[in-house]
Amino acid sequence: MLGELLHILAAAIISWILFVAVDIFFKLPETGGVVGATAIARDIEAGGGDLAGGTMMGNIVCSPDASAGTLLAACGVYVAGIPGGLAAATLVFIGNRICHDPGYAGTTGAILATFVIYGFTLVGFAASDFIAGMVIAILTIQGLSHTHASRLLGRLWRVRE
Amino acid sequence: MIALYVVAAIAVFAAVRAILERNTGRRFPHANVLNFAVAGSLVLLLDHPITLVAAAAYFVGSTLEANAIASTYAGGVKR
Repeated sequence: MLGELLHILAAAIISWILFVAVDIFFKLPETGGVVGATAIARDIEAGGGDLAGGTMMGNIVCSPDASAGTLLAACGVYVAGIPGGLAAATLVFIGNRICHDPGYAGTTGAILATFVIYGFTLVGFAASDFIAGMVIAILTIQGLSHTHASRLLGRLWRVRE
Repeated sequence: MIALYVVAAIAVFAAVRAILERNTGRRFPHANVLNFAVAGSLVLLLDHPITLVAAAAYFVGSTLEANAIASTYAGGVKR
């Protein structure tokens, strides 16, 4: 039981690094993809947060990004191994087009996550650890403190710039 | 099994946070966490390949709804 909890925590850290790195590589904090994302960023900034970090959080809400890609890839690997993960990547690609998102952060994240998660299943992890881990990872960004999360993302974004 | 309980607990936590948050714009990220948790728990509850399609359909649908509501909240498209 303790072992599974530790696996989930480790999976959360791996998923966090993976999706934040892919999202920042694809410049999600730069501009809001739709006006809704910009509005969310403005409200987060008004609450004391960072505009660039808030923009990334708004973009995560408004279209499936690398975090959604990682979650669905974990789900895909859980039900059907690597083919399941790649099917999830296809579904994320379709989801991006439906949500008026011209980018490839979600699809790239899902493909990368498929192979990362499959790799970790070979060394004792279960794909279900990554489903729970990704939910914990998105909780730390979107669900605990928007002010602190947006400042951290803003700082990482300025490093990339 | 623990994974399912973790995901379900986070879903309840995110739902409560979304209800308690007063600012509309800052409500969306909480609802986003809820969508992640529900999509994850669907797959953990029903271990079948078709569940992946159901979870992805739910997730993309709820993201599109959040996108539409947030864009309406922002004032919609100016013509």
